[in-house]
Amino acid sequence: MAMDSDQHDEQMDQRIRELARSFNPPPPAPREVMWRAIAARRVATRPAPQPRWVPWAAAAGVLLAFGIGIGRISAPGGPARGTASTEVRRVNPTAYRMATLEHLARAEAFLTLFRASLERPGDRRLASATARQLLAGNRLLLDSPAARDRNTRLLLEDLELVLAEIAQLSPGSPREDLELIREGMERGDMLPRLRTAVPVRAASNQGAL
Amino acid sequence: MDDRELIGRVLAGDPSAERALYDAHVDRVFRLVYRMAGDLDRAQDWVQETFIRAFQRLPGFRGESTLSTWLCSIAISVALNGLRKVRRVRDREVALEHATPAGAPRAEPDPDLRTRLREAIGALPDGYRAVFVMHDVEGYTHEEIARVLGVQPGTSKAQLFRARARLREALADFARD
Repeated sequence: MAMDSDQHDEQMDQRIRELARSFNPPPPAPREVMWRAIAARRVATRPAPQPRWVPWAAAAGVLLAFGIGIGRISAPGGPARGTASTEVRRVNPTAYRMATLEHLARAEAFLTLFRASLERPGDRRLASATARQLLAGNRLLLDSPAARDRNTRLLLEDLELVLAEIAQLSPGSPREDLELIREGMERGDMLPRLRTAVPVRAASNQGAL
Repeated sequence: MDDRELIGRVLAGDPSAERALYDAHVDRVFRLVYRMAGDLDRAQDWVQETFIRAFQRLPGFRGESTLSTWLCSIAISVALNGLRKVRRVRDREVALEHATPAGAPRAEPDPDLRTRLREAIGALPDGYRAVFVMHDVEGYTHEEIARVLGVQPGTSKAQLFRARARLREALADFARD
């Protein structure tokens, strides 16, 4: 006997509905994994409170400028008025050593914090801004008598590369960029070199003072 | 705590309220999105995107629908956009496969009804698929679907009717067995 078309459709629909309940059966929602990603992105899009190291970095930037200023003022004959080359010769080297020491200590603290916060995209913008500040100080020191010491110059040059890479970061930077920076820091032993350099220079500065 | 109070706290910048809102609705959103996505990574991405958008747009939520319905409408929008992107990628891959020299015809096993149904649902137009999944799979009413999709309940019924017709057509071989 031929089945009525509507009845046939209804039976077919019923069968489809039964089978469809097993269509893409969802597993339990991975709540914590998803929340972590959401919270991270929320932080990134919010006007975030400054992390502790940002004001500190800014303050240290002022210190760096202050240190260089001291060097100029304390140079024999007072503030330099001549050309750049004569100016450099008159500056008290102790002031540059102090400024270098402050800068390297600040860079070490920054890179330590940066490495610890690599997974948080919201911190990248802040890291980038701080890296730019440090980069400016780093370039001043590279152009100063502080860079006459070969080891200091090499350290500042390597640091410049790392800071320049971090300064390019944005919240949307691909993970590969972070990995390259991390690898660069590790390959160049950046943090151990900074940690080694700071106490040595601190001791020598204290002696000089 | 009701939705209104929760929303107020979120808008006041209380992070624990954001988490509470998420906890209250994530399971329902995830179920729906996973049914549409059929893939855990994709579903996670889309659920995350749903809540990110929801928190961003919350100041504009006027309470004309329930918070749950509003979240589902965002989730469906995210999922449909995501499916379109997936389809574009898949189409490119298929085009590349077809560009390679064809050998002997591939001997594919005859798919069983469940597999064929899965493929047929996946091949439905986005609107039909959303209505079918929401109504026949997840048990939403036409009124709820209409609010989520921003259409009339009659449109939801019509799309479900057409979706079922397409599925019957796709599974006609099995109906004869």
